[in-house]
Amino acid sequence: MLNDQHILRAFDRDLESVQAMIMKMGGLVEAALADAAKALETQDEALAEQVRRGDAAIDALESDVNTECARLIALRGPIAGDLRTVLTVMKIASSLERCGDYAKNLAKRSLLLGTMTPIPGAAGSIRRLARQVGLLLKDALDAFIARDPGLAEDVRQRDHEVDQMYNALFREFLTFMLEDPRNISACMHLHFIAKNIERVGDHATTIAEQVIYLTTGALPGEARPKADLTQDGLSTGGQG
Amino acid sequence: MKDLVMETRVDVQTVKIEARKAQVFYGTNHAIKDVDVDILDKTVTAFIGPSGCGKSTFLRCLNRMNDTIASCRVEGKITLEGEDIYDPRVDPVQLRAKIGMVFQKPNPFPKSIYDNVAYGPKIHGLTRNKAELDQVVESCLRKAALWNEVKDRLHAPGTGLSGGQQQRLCIARAIATSPEVLLMDEPCSALDPIATAQVEELIDELRSQFSVVIVTHSMQQAARVSQKTAFFHLGNLVEFGETSQIFTNPRDPRTESYITGRIG
Repeated sequence: MLNDQHILRAFDRDLESVQAMIMKMGGLVEAALADAAKALETQDEALAEQVRRGDAAIDALESDVNTECARLIALRGPIAGDLRTVLTVMKIASSLERCGDYAKNLAKRSLLLGTMTPIPGAAGSIRRLARQVGLLLKDALDAFIARDPGLAEDVRQRDHEVDQMYNALFREFLTFMLEDPRNISACMHLHFIAKNIERVGDHATTIAEQVIYLTTGALPGEARPKADLTQDGLSTGGQG
Repeated sequence: MKDLVMETRVDVQTVKIEARKAQVFYGTNHAIKDVDVDILDKTVTAFIGPSGCGKSTFLRCLNRMNDTIASCRVEGKITLEGEDIYDPRVDPVQLRAKIGMVFQKPNPFPKSIYDNVAYGPKIHGLTRNKAELDQVVESCLRKAALWNEVKDRLHAPGTGLSGGQQQRLCIARAIATSPEVLLMDEPCSALDPIATAQVEELIDELRSQFSVVIVTHSMQQAARVSQKTAFFHLGNLVEFGETSQIFTNPRDPRTESYITGRIG
């Protein structure tokens, strides 16, 4: 029934158009994250530079989504499922824009890290984390397009794994810093990178929650597993 | 009798009109099927649905306007404060003084503005003298947000007013008998947006004293003025709930299809 078309077909075209923009943004963000992590591991300055510049396109798309949604609200007066679609689209766009910023930040730091003593194994671990988070993001967006609350719930649960990977990296960097203070600069940058990727995972969770709101009309209420740990006071752990 | 949770939920607003398994037949045509609905006091309830879904038919059951149609038969139970309104001992004229009605097109009597409002209280003998009647007329015109516009020409014909003013005059006339419930059948469909906004503002104010039931084709109007919404389709009451819920998260796919303007 929900897939039925509007009597006014321009309304359908408008709704499809904003959702297509989200998918385009999602594609750009996934690529930016993967490319930035790759640039870090391979020390590919050109690729890092490309990611850094590419963020402008993501920002521009977010602004287009907001303009288009404002127009849609003003002209079409969406209600019920249509209203939830528009609200969800706006929230997802804002999440993706943040994710784009994190990828850009990763690229910038990878350029800086090129000038420092390399930390063995770190870039590979970061790339694995980025790959895991990229999958979460992809699944969250697939759940949005398919209107699949089951897949969205799966994404929420899997953010736990990302938090654990981040916590492991945190401890690893700490060890390097304790071993040799000359590692501190590089490890600080690597830690920010890991933290930012972990935050992209949180945004994927936010998107998944929006999908649950979109499909069921209510945000998921109960808590999901969190890996906010390291009770020793040394670590902050994953958030959100 | 009731546990605490029920009490806080139910007793906030008392039920004014209660319909149970209401059926309406026009000859052999089953126009309303098994409608159960509670119309709350001091609440605006909107009836929405496509043309021919039975919302106006059901509205007209609530003050026995369907009595005037020979082929029309009403079954089931409709009560006003617990009293069966289809009880043979109930006088439909008295009932309609308690349950007033405003129609789609403004239909003032071809009389003065004053007489339009004074008519009901006069025939029902609700006032004892001219001074009291004057007071009722003024207070009703004030409640209908028309007083300031007509106070200097109370004896001019009601038909000389603008469409929006005429509709507000009809509302003033409907509330002059101090009804408990006000039924409105598309009260704004013949009005421009400004007059519509004035009538909507009025409906919102009337809510503090009356129970209002409004039939409307404008989804946005239902969303703007009502607290409860009932969606009718093919003679069935498909969904009845809080207006905010119906318009953000309707439970029935037919409601969603209709209110979002899809082919249902």
